Amino acid sequence: MQRRRRRRPTRRRSLLTFRGIRQASMAAPTLTKGLLGLRQLRAFAVGYSCSGHQYATAASVQTPPPQTADVTDKVMTLPLEKPDFFRVSELFSLKDLFDARVHLGHKKGCRHRLMEPYLYGCRLDQDIIDLDQTVEHLQQALNFTAHVAYRGGIILFVSRRRQFVHLVESTAKDCGEYAHTRYWQGGLLTNAPIQYGPGVRLPDLIVFLSTLNNVFQQHIGIRDAAKMNIPTVGVVDSNCNPCLVTYPVPGNDDTPVAMELYCRLFRMTITRAKDKRKHMELLHGLSAPSTPSS
Amino acid sequence: MAGSRLEKFGTVFSRIRDLVRSGVIKPSERPVWYDVYEAFPPKREPLYVKPHFRLSSRKQESVPEIFYREDDVRAKFYELYGTGPRPLDLSKANFVSTCQRFVEKFSELKSSSDLDDSALFEETGKILLSEGVILRRRGAPPVAPESRDQVLDLKLTDMLAEQQMVDSTQTR
Repeated sequence: MQRRRRRRPTRRRSLLTFRGIRQASMAAPTLTKGLLGLRQLRAFAVGYSCSGHQYATAASVQTPPPQTADVTDKVMTLPLEKPDFFRVSELFSLKDLFDARVHLGHKKGCRHRLMEPYLYGCRLDQDIIDLDQTVEHLQQALNFTAHVAYRGGIILFVSRRRQFVHLVESTAKDCGEYAHTRYWQGGLLTNAPIQYGPGVRLPDLIVFLSTLNNVFQQHIGIRDAAKMNIPTVGVVDSNCNPCLVTYPVPGNDDTPVAMELYCRLFRMTITRAKDKRKHMELLHGLSAPSTPSS
Repeated sequence: MAGSRLEKFGTVFSRIRDLVRSGVIKPSERPVWYDVYEAFPPKREPLYVKPHFRLSSRKQESVPEIFYREDDVRAKFYELYGTGPRPLDLSKANFVSTCQRFVEKFSELKSSSDLDDSALFEETGKILLSEGVILRRRGAPPVAPESRDQVLDLKLTDMLAEQQMVDSTQTR
Protein backbone atom coordinates (compact mmCIF):
# COMPACT_ATOMS: atom_id res chain seq x y z
CA MET A 1 0.00 0.00 0.00
CA GLN A 2 1.37 3.40 -0.94
CA ARG A 3 2.15 5.64 1.98
CA ARG A 4 0.06 8.77 1.63
CA ARG A 5 1.94 12.02 2.00
CA ARG A 6 0.58 14.15 4.83
CA ARG A 7 -1.12 17.19 3.39
CA ARG A 8 -0.48 20.53 4.99
CA PRO A 9 -3.73 21.60 6.63
CA THR A 10 -5.78 23.67 4.21
CA ARG A 11 -7.96 26.57 5.23
CA ARG A 12 -11.12 24.42 5.05
CA ARG A 13 -13.83 24.70 7.65
CA SER A 14 -13.51 21.06 8.57
CA LEU A 15 -9.92 21.38 9.80
CA LEU A 16 -8.96 23.56 12.66
CA THR A 17 -8.82 27.12 11.42
CA PHE A 18 -7.65 29.84 13.73
CA ARG A 19 -8.32 33.47 14.12
CA GLY A 20 -5.12 35.41 14.46
CA ILE A 21 -6.02 37.22 17.68
CA ARG A 22 -3.10 36.98 20.07
CA GLN A 23 -4.84 37.59 23.38
CA ALA A 24 -7.45 34.87 23.40
CA SER A 25 -8.99 35.69 26.74
CA MET A 26 -9.31 39.35 25.91
CA ALA A 27 -11.51 38.54 22.94
CA ALA A 28 -14.80 38.89 24.77
CA PRO A 29 -14.44 42.46 26.06
CA THR A 30 -12.76 43.59 22.83
CA LEU A 31 -15.62 42.09 20.88
CA THR A 32 -18.14 44.15 22.80
CA LYS A 33 -16.10 47.31 22.45
CA GLY A 34 -15.57 46.69 18.75
CA LEU A 35 -19.28 46.20 18.11
CA LEU A 36 -20.19 49.30 20.07
CA GLY A 37 -17.64 51.27 18.10
CA LEU A 38 -19.07 49.98 14.82
CA ARG A 39 -22.55 51.01 15.81
CA GLN A 40 -21.33 54.54 16.46
CA LEU A 41 -19.63 54.71 13.05
CA ARG A 42 -22.74 53.52 11.29
CA ALA A 43 -24.82 56.21 12.97
CA PHE A 44 -22.40 58.89 11.82
CA ALA A 45 -22.35 57.55 8.27
CA VAL A 46 -26.14 57.73 8.05
CA GLY A 47 -26.04 61.36 9.07
CA TYR A 48 -23.50 62.27 6.45
CA SER A 49 -24.73 60.38 3.41
CA CYS A 50 -28.26 61.85 3.41
CA SER A 51 -27.38 64.94 1.42
CA GLY A 52 -24.38 66.20 -0.49
CA HIS A 53 -22.94 68.75 1.92
CA GLN A 54 -21.85 67.81 5.36
CA TYR A 55 -24.05 68.45 8.27
CA ALA A 56 -24.47 67.03 11.71
CA THR A 57 -27.92 66.98 13.24
CA ALA A 58 -28.25 66.56 16.95
CA ALA A 59 -30.27 63.38 16.53
CA SER A 60 -27.62 61.53 14.52
CA VAL A 61 -24.74 62.42 16.82
CA GLN A 62 -24.84 59.83 19.54
CA THR A 63 -23.21 60.30 22.87
CA PRO A 64 -20.66 57.56 23.57
CA PRO A 65 -22.27 54.87 25.74
CA PRO A 66 -21.61 55.61 29.39
CA GLN A 67 -19.86 53.15 31.70
CA THR A 68 -18.66 50.66 29.08
CA ALA A 69 -17.02 48.49 31.70
CA ASP A 70 -20.26 48.24 33.70
CA VAL A 71 -22.24 47.33 30.62
CA THR A 72 -19.74 44.63 29.70
CA ASP A 73 -19.86 43.33 33.24
CA LYS A 74 -23.62 43.17 33.19
CA VAL A 75 -23.70 41.39 29.86
CA MET A 76 -21.14 38.88 31.12
CA THR A 77 -22.21 38.24 34.68
CA LEU A 78 -26.00 38.34 34.35
CA PRO A 79 -26.32 34.91 32.69
CA LEU A 80 -24.17 33.28 35.38
CA GLU A 81 -26.60 34.22 38.12
CA LYS A 82 -29.46 32.13 36.81
CA PRO A 83 -29.29 28.31 36.89
CA ASP A 84 -30.72 27.85 33.38
CA PHE A 85 -30.38 31.17 31.60
CA PHE A 86 -30.64 29.67 28.12
CA ARG A 87 -33.45 27.24 29.07
CA VAL A 88 -31.60 24.24 27.71
CA SER A 89 -33.67 21.84 29.79
CA GLU A 90 -36.63 22.63 27.54
CA LEU A 91 -34.78 21.34 24.48
CA PHE A 92 -35.12 17.65 25.34
CA SER A 93 -36.95 15.26 27.64
CA LEU A 94 -36.29 11.78 28.98
CA LYS A 95 -38.77 10.34 26.48
CA ASP A 96 -36.81 11.89 23.59
CA LEU A 97 -33.66 10.22 24.87
CA PHE A 98 -35.44 6.89 25.19
CA ASP A 99 -36.91 7.10 21.68
CA ALA A 100 -33.48 7.90 20.31
CA ARG A 101 -32.16 4.73 22.02
CA VAL A 102 -29.63 6.65 24.09
CA HIS A 103 -29.96 4.16 26.95
CA LEU A 104 -28.53 1.22 25.00
CA GLY A 105 -24.95 0.44 25.90
CA HIS A 106 -22.54 -2.25 24.77
CA LYS A 107 -22.31 -5.81 26.03
CA LYS A 108 -21.19 -6.69 29.55
CA GLY A 109 -17.74 -7.76 28.41
CA CYS A 110 -16.99 -4.33 26.90
CA ARG A 111 -17.91 -2.43 30.01
CA HIS A 112 -15.44 0.11 31.37
CA ARG A 113 -14.94 -0.01 35.12
CA LEU A 114 -15.46 3.74 35.52
CA MET A 115 -18.79 3.73 33.69
CA GLU A 116 -20.43 1.52 36.29
CA PRO A 117 -21.92 4.40 38.32
CA TYR A 118 -23.72 5.63 35.21
CA LEU A 119 -25.36 2.28 34.36
CA TYR A 120 -28.91 1.44 35.35
CA GLY A 121 -28.45 -2.30 34.97
CA CYS A 122 -27.64 -5.15 32.64
CA ARG A 123 -30.42 -6.79 30.65
CA LEU A 124 -29.42 -10.15 29.17
CA ASP A 125 -25.76 -9.05 29.06
CA GLN A 126 -26.46 -5.68 27.45
CA ASP A 127 -25.68 -2.60 29.57
CA ILE A 128 -28.51 -0.14 30.04
CA ILE A 129 -27.46 3.45 30.79
CA ASP A 130 -29.36 5.31 33.52
CA LEU A 131 -31.32 7.97 31.69
CA ASP A 132 -32.10 9.96 34.84
CA GLN A 133 -28.40 10.65 35.24
CA THR A 134 -28.02 11.26 31.51
CA VAL A 135 -30.68 13.96 31.62
CA GLU A 136 -28.83 15.83 34.39
CA HIS A 137 -25.43 15.45 32.76
CA LEU A 138 -26.71 16.49 29.35
CA GLN A 139 -28.37 19.54 30.80
CA GLN A 140 -25.15 20.59 32.52
CA ALA A 141 -23.14 19.98 29.35
CA LEU A 142 -25.52 21.98 27.16
CA ASN A 143 -25.62 24.79 29.71
CA PHE A 144 -21.83 25.00 29.76
CA THR A 145 -21.66 24.96 25.94
CA ALA A 146 -24.25 27.72 25.77
CA HIS A 147 -22.35 29.93 28.18
CA VAL A 148 -19.06 29.43 26.34
CA ALA A 149 -20.73 30.23 23.01
CA TYR A 150 -22.36 33.28 24.62
CA ARG A 151 -18.94 34.59 25.60
CA GLY A 152 -17.60 34.16 22.09
CA GLY A 153 -15.57 31.04 22.75
CA ILE A 154 -14.41 28.74 19.96
CA ILE A 155 -16.05 25.31 20.04
CA LEU A 156 -14.51 22.34 18.28
CA PHE A 157 -16.55 19.24 17.46
CA VAL A 158 -14.54 16.02 17.36
CA SER A 159 -15.66 12.57 16.33
CA ARG A 160 -13.70 9.78 14.77
CA ARG A 161 -16.71 7.75 13.62
CA ARG A 162 -16.68 7.68 9.87
CA GLN A 163 -20.39 7.01 9.74
CA PHE A 164 -21.15 10.46 11.19
CA VAL A 165 -18.40 12.59 9.67
CA HIS A 166 -20.77 14.46 7.38
CA LEU A 167 -23.33 14.98 10.12
CA VAL A 168 -20.79 16.43 12.56
CA GLU A 169 -19.22 18.69 9.95
CA SER A 170 -22.57 20.04 8.79
CA THR A 171 -23.62 20.63 12.42
CA ALA A 172 -20.47 22.65 13.04
CA LYS A 173 -21.00 24.61 9.85
CA ASP A 174 -24.59 25.43 10.79
CA CYS A 175 -23.61 26.77 14.19
CA GLY A 176 -20.68 28.75 12.87
CA GLU A 177 -18.19 26.68 14.86
CA TYR A 178 -15.47 24.21 13.95
CA ALA A 179 -15.14 20.47 13.50
CA HIS A 180 -12.27 18.00 13.28
CA THR A 181 -13.35 14.56 12.16
CA ARG A 182 -10.19 13.38 10.42
CA TYR A 183 -6.92 11.91 11.62
CA TRP A 184 -5.72 13.76 14.70
CA GLN A 185 -2.12 14.76 14.20
CA GLY A 186 0.02 14.36 17.31
CA GLY A 187 0.85 18.00 17.91
CA LEU A 188 -2.45 19.53 16.89
CA LEU A 189 -3.08 21.16 20.26
CA THR A 190 0.22 20.65 22.03
CA ASN A 191 2.40 21.85 19.17
CA ALA A 192 -0.01 24.30 17.58
CA PRO A 193 2.20 27.42 17.37
CA ILE A 194 4.77 25.47 15.34
CA GLN A 195 2.34 23.54 13.16
CA TYR A 196 -0.02 26.39 12.41
CA GLY A 197 2.08 29.48 12.93
CA PRO A 198 2.61 31.74 15.95
CA GLY A 199 -0.26 33.52 17.63
CA VAL A 200 -2.75 30.75 17.02
CA ARG A 201 -5.93 30.71 19.13
CA LEU A 202 -6.86 27.30 20.51
CA PRO A 203 -10.47 26.22 21.04
CA ASP A 204 -12.12 27.15 24.34
CA LEU A 205 -14.28 24.04 24.42
CA ILE A 206 -14.01 20.68 22.68
CA VAL A 207 -17.17 18.61 22.20
CA PHE A 208 -16.52 14.91 21.64
CA LEU A 209 -19.46 13.21 19.98
CA SER A 210 -17.60 9.94 20.38
CA THR A 211 -14.64 9.65 22.76
CA LEU A 212 -13.11 6.62 21.03
CA ASN A 213 -11.00 6.51 17.92
CA ASN A 214 -11.12 3.92 15.17
CA VAL A 215 -9.26 1.28 17.17
CA PHE A 216 -11.48 1.55 20.25
CA GLN A 217 -8.94 3.41 22.35
CA GLN A 218 -9.50 6.73 24.04
CA HIS A 219 -9.19 9.61 21.59
CA ILE A 220 -5.89 11.47 21.99
CA GLY A 221 -7.82 14.74 21.98
CA ILE A 222 -9.15 14.12 25.48
CA ARG A 223 -5.70 13.84 26.99
CA ASP A 224 -4.40 16.74 24.90
CA ALA A 225 -7.29 19.00 25.89
CA ALA A 226 -6.62 18.23 29.56
CA LYS A 227 -2.96 19.05 28.96
CA MET A 228 -3.74 22.37 27.31
CA ASN A 229 -6.34 23.23 30.01
CA ILE A 230 -9.28 23.14 27.63
CA PRO A 231 -12.56 21.83 29.10
CA THR A 232 -14.27 18.99 27.24
CA VAL A 233 -17.83 17.82 26.81
CA GLY A 234 -18.07 14.20 25.71
CA VAL A 235 -20.68 11.55 24.96
CA VAL A 236 -19.34 8.50 26.81
CA ASP A 237 -20.67 5.06 25.95
CA SER A 238 -20.40 2.07 28.29
CA ASN A 239 -16.98 1.13 26.87
CA CYS A 240 -15.41 4.61 27.26
CA ASN A 241 -13.26 6.15 29.99
CA PRO A 242 -15.02 9.22 31.43
CA CYS A 243 -12.42 10.30 33.97
CA LEU A 244 -10.69 13.09 32.01
CA VAL A 245 -13.84 14.47 30.33
CA THR A 246 -14.94 17.63 32.17
CA TYR A 247 -18.67 17.26 31.44
CA PRO A 248 -19.33 13.64 30.45
CA VAL A 249 -22.72 12.68 29.05
CA PRO A 250 -23.32 8.94 29.46
CA GLY A 251 -25.19 7.75 26.37
CA ASN A 252 -25.16 5.73 23.21
CA ASP A 253 -22.74 6.97 20.57
CA ASP A 254 -23.31 4.28 17.92
CA THR A 255 -26.92 4.64 16.80
CA PRO A 256 -27.60 7.22 14.05
CA VAL A 257 -30.79 8.40 15.78
CA ALA A 258 -28.90 9.17 18.97
CA MET A 259 -26.12 11.02 17.12
CA GLU A 260 -28.65 13.10 15.22
CA LEU A 261 -30.28 13.99 18.51
CA TYR A 262 -26.99 15.15 20.05
CA CYS A 263 -26.03 17.16 16.98
CA ARG A 264 -29.43 18.80 16.89
CA LEU A 265 -29.26 19.68 20.59
CA PHE A 266 -25.78 21.18 20.35
CA ARG A 267 -26.69 23.13 17.26
CA MET A 268 -29.80 24.56 18.89
CA THR A 269 -27.95 25.47 22.11
CA ILE A 270 -25.12 27.27 20.33
CA THR A 271 -27.45 29.16 18.00
CA ARG A 272 -29.62 30.12 20.94
CA ALA A 273 -26.63 31.33 22.95
CA LYS A 274 -25.29 33.46 20.11
CA ASP A 275 -28.69 35.00 19.44
CA LYS A 276 -29.06 35.75 23.12
CA ARG A 277 -25.70 37.48 23.10
CA LYS A 278 -26.79 39.80 20.29
CA HIS A 279 -30.00 40.37 22.21
CA MET A 280 -28.23 41.33 25.42
CA GLU A 281 -25.91 43.67 23.61
CA LEU A 282 -28.81 45.44 22.00
CA LEU A 283 -30.55 45.66 25.34
CA HIS A 284 -27.64 47.04 27.31
CA GLY A 285 -25.37 48.51 24.67
CA LEU A 286 -27.54 51.19 23.13
CA SER A 287 -28.50 53.96 25.52
CA ALA A 288 -30.61 55.57 22.71
CA PRO A 289 -34.39 55.56 23.09
CA SER A 290 -34.81 52.77 20.54
CA THR A 291 -37.16 50.11 21.85
CA PRO A 292 -35.18 47.07 22.98
CA SER A 293 -36.42 43.85 21.41
CA SER A 294 -37.03 41.35 24.20
CA MET B 1 -0.56 32.47 28.11
CA ALA B 2 1.07 30.30 30.70
CA GLY B 3 -0.37 26.90 31.36
CA SER B 4 0.26 23.62 33.09
CA ARG B 5 0.38 20.43 31.06
CA LEU B 6 0.02 17.96 33.91
CA GLU B 7 -3.25 16.26 33.09
CA LYS B 8 -2.74 13.59 35.74
CA PHE B 9 -2.63 16.04 38.65
CA GLY B 10 -5.78 17.89 39.60
CA THR B 11 -8.42 19.08 37.20
CA VAL B 12 -8.29 21.62 34.39
CA PHE B 13 -10.00 24.14 36.64
CA SER B 14 -7.86 23.56 39.71
CA ARG B 15 -4.67 24.13 37.75
CA ILE B 16 -5.86 27.40 36.21
CA ARG B 17 -7.27 28.56 39.54
CA ASP B 18 -3.97 27.97 41.25
CA LEU B 19 -2.10 29.77 38.48
CA VAL B 20 -4.42 32.75 38.85
CA ARG B 21 -4.04 32.67 42.62
CA SER B 22 -0.26 32.64 42.41
CA GLY B 23 -0.28 35.51 39.94
CA VAL B 24 1.16 33.71 36.92
CA ILE B 25 -2.06 34.33 34.97
CA LYS B 26 -3.49 37.83 35.40
CA PRO B 27 -7.17 38.02 36.31
CA SER B 28 -7.81 39.85 33.06
CA GLU B 29 -6.17 37.01 31.15
CA ARG B 30 -8.41 34.28 32.51
CA PRO B 31 -9.78 31.84 29.95
CA VAL B 32 -13.26 32.31 28.55
CA TRP B 33 -14.64 29.25 30.31
CA TYR B 34 -13.20 29.95 33.78
CA ASP B 35 -16.12 31.92 35.18
CA VAL B 36 -18.61 29.54 33.65
CA TYR B 37 -16.94 26.56 35.32
CA GLU B 38 -16.88 28.41 38.61
CA ALA B 39 -20.59 29.11 38.39
CA PHE B 40 -21.59 25.68 37.09
CA PRO B 41 -19.12 23.00 38.18
CA PRO B 42 -19.69 19.43 36.96
CA LYS B 43 -21.11 16.68 39.15
CA ARG B 44 -17.82 14.89 39.37
CA GLU B 45 -14.43 16.58 39.24
CA PRO B 46 -12.60 15.37 36.12
CA LEU B 47 -9.64 13.93 38.01
CA TYR B 48 -7.44 11.39 36.33
CA VAL B 49 -7.99 7.87 37.64
CA LYS B 50 -5.08 5.49 37.36
CA PRO B 51 -5.98 2.28 35.56
CA HIS B 52 -5.21 -0.62 37.87
CA PHE B 53 -5.83 -4.13 36.75
CA ARG B 54 -7.30 -6.31 39.45
CA LEU B 55 -5.97 -9.81 39.19
CA SER B 56 -8.67 -11.26 41.42
CA SER B 57 -12.21 -11.35 40.09
CA ARG B 58 -14.57 -8.67 41.32
CA LYS B 59 -16.25 -9.63 44.57
CA GLN B 60 -19.46 -7.64 44.24
CA GLU B 61 -21.49 -7.02 41.13
CA SER B 62 -22.14 -3.30 41.20
CA VAL B 63 -24.32 -3.31 38.09
CA PRO B 64 -27.54 -5.24 38.83
CA GLU B 65 -29.11 -7.60 36.34
CA ILE B 66 -32.49 -6.48 35.11
CA PHE B 67 -35.15 -9.18 35.39
CA TYR B 68 -38.92 -8.90 35.63
CA ARG B 69 -41.53 -11.29 36.98
CA GLU B 70 -42.97 -11.73 33.49
CA ASP B 71 -39.62 -13.09 32.31
CA ASP B 72 -40.61 -16.57 33.60
CA VAL B 73 -43.68 -16.53 31.39
CA ARG B 74 -41.66 -15.19 28.47
CA ALA B 75 -39.03 -17.90 28.86
CA LYS B 76 -41.66 -20.64 28.85
CA PHE B 77 -43.40 -19.08 25.87
CA TYR B 78 -40.22 -18.97 23.79
CA GLU B 79 -39.27 -22.50 24.77
CA LEU B 80 -42.65 -23.86 23.75
CA TYR B 81 -43.71 -21.78 20.79
CA GLY B 82 -40.50 -20.25 19.45
CA THR B 83 -40.61 -16.66 18.27
CA GLY B 84 -44.31 -16.76 17.44
CA PRO B 85 -46.11 -16.39 14.12
CA ARG B 86 -45.58 -12.64 13.64
CA PRO B 87 -42.07 -11.13 13.33
CA LEU B 88 -41.15 -8.30 15.71
CA ASP B 89 -41.36 -4.84 14.17
CA LEU B 90 -39.15 -2.62 16.34
CA SER B 91 -39.51 0.47 14.16
CA LYS B 92 -42.83 1.27 15.84
CA ALA B 93 -42.62 2.52 19.40
CA ASN B 94 -45.97 1.04 20.50
CA PHE B 95 -45.61 -2.35 18.85
CA VAL B 96 -46.97 -5.31 20.87
CA SER B 97 -45.48 -8.66 19.96
CA THR B 98 -47.22 -12.03 20.25
CA CYS B 99 -45.17 -12.84 23.33
CA GLN B 100 -46.16 -9.57 24.98
CA ARG B 101 -49.87 -10.23 24.29
CA PHE B 102 -49.46 -13.67 25.81
CA VAL B 103 -47.80 -12.23 28.89
CA GLU B 104 -50.49 -9.59 29.34
CA LYS B 105 -53.26 -12.18 29.00
CA PHE B 106 -51.43 -14.47 31.45
CA SER B 107 -51.10 -11.75 34.08
CA GLU B 108 -54.80 -10.86 33.65
CA LEU B 109 -55.83 -14.47 34.19
CA LYS B 110 -53.47 -14.87 37.13
CA SER B 111 -55.02 -11.92 38.93
CA SER B 112 -58.58 -13.06 38.20
CA SER B 113 -58.47 -16.88 38.56
CA ASP B 114 -56.69 -19.16 41.03
CA LEU B 115 -55.31 -21.92 38.78
CA ASP B 116 -51.91 -23.51 38.63
CA ASP B 117 -49.22 -21.91 36.44
CA SER B 118 -49.14 -24.66 33.83
CA ALA B 119 -52.94 -24.74 33.66
CA LEU B 120 -52.97 -20.97 33.23
CA PHE B 121 -50.48 -21.40 30.42
CA GLU B 122 -52.82 -23.73 28.55
CA GLU B 123 -55.75 -21.42 29.23
CA THR B 124 -53.90 -18.42 27.81
CA GLY B 125 -52.95 -20.40 24.73
CA LYS B 126 -56.60 -21.34 24.17
CA ILE B 127 -57.78 -17.75 24.63
CA LEU B 128 -55.23 -16.43 22.15
CA LEU B 129 -56.30 -19.13 19.68
CA SER B 130 -59.85 -17.93 20.01
CA GLU B 131 -58.64 -14.36 19.30
CA GLY B 132 -57.09 -15.52 16.06
CA VAL B 133 -53.44 -15.90 16.99
CA ILE B 134 -52.19 -19.33 15.89
CA LEU B 135 -49.47 -20.64 18.16
CA ARG B 136 -47.53 -23.51 16.72
CA ARG B 137 -45.51 -25.63 19.08
CA ARG B 138 -41.80 -25.76 18.43
CA GLY B 139 -40.34 -29.12 17.31
CA ALA B 140 -43.63 -30.46 15.94
CA PRO B 141 -43.51 -31.71 12.32
CA PRO B 142 -44.99 -29.19 9.90
CA VAL B 143 -46.96 -31.91 8.01
CA ALA B 144 -49.33 -34.38 9.78
CA PRO B 145 -48.16 -38.05 9.60
CA GLU B 146 -51.38 -39.41 8.00
CA SER B 147 -50.84 -37.60 4.75
CA ARG B 148 -47.51 -39.33 4.07
CA ASP B 149 -47.42 -41.22 0.81
CA GLN B 150 -47.53 -44.99 1.33
CA VAL B 151 -44.96 -45.54 -1.38
CA LEU B 152 -42.34 -44.02 0.93
CA ASP B 153 -42.96 -46.78 3.46
CA LEU B 154 -41.92 -49.53 1.05
CA LYS B 155 -38.56 -50.98 1.88
CA LEU B 156 -36.75 -51.71 -1.38
CA THR B 157 -34.07 -53.89 0.23
CA ASP B 158 -36.72 -56.27 1.62
CA MET B 159 -38.41 -56.41 -1.75
CA LEU B 160 -35.09 -57.22 -3.43
CA ALA B 161 -34.40 -59.96 -0.90
CA GLU B 162 -37.84 -61.46 -1.54
CA GLN B 163 -37.31 -61.29 -5.30
CA GLN B 164 -33.95 -63.03 -4.98
CA MET B 165 -35.47 -65.79 -2.85
CA VAL B 166 -38.25 -66.26 -5.38
CA ASP B 167 -35.68 -66.41 -8.21
CA SER B 168 -33.50 -68.93 -6.35
CA THR B 169 -36.48 -71.21 -5.67
CA GLN B 170 -37.57 -70.90 -9.32
CA THR B 171 -34.13 -71.78 -10.72
CA ARG B 172 -33.79 -74.76 -8.40
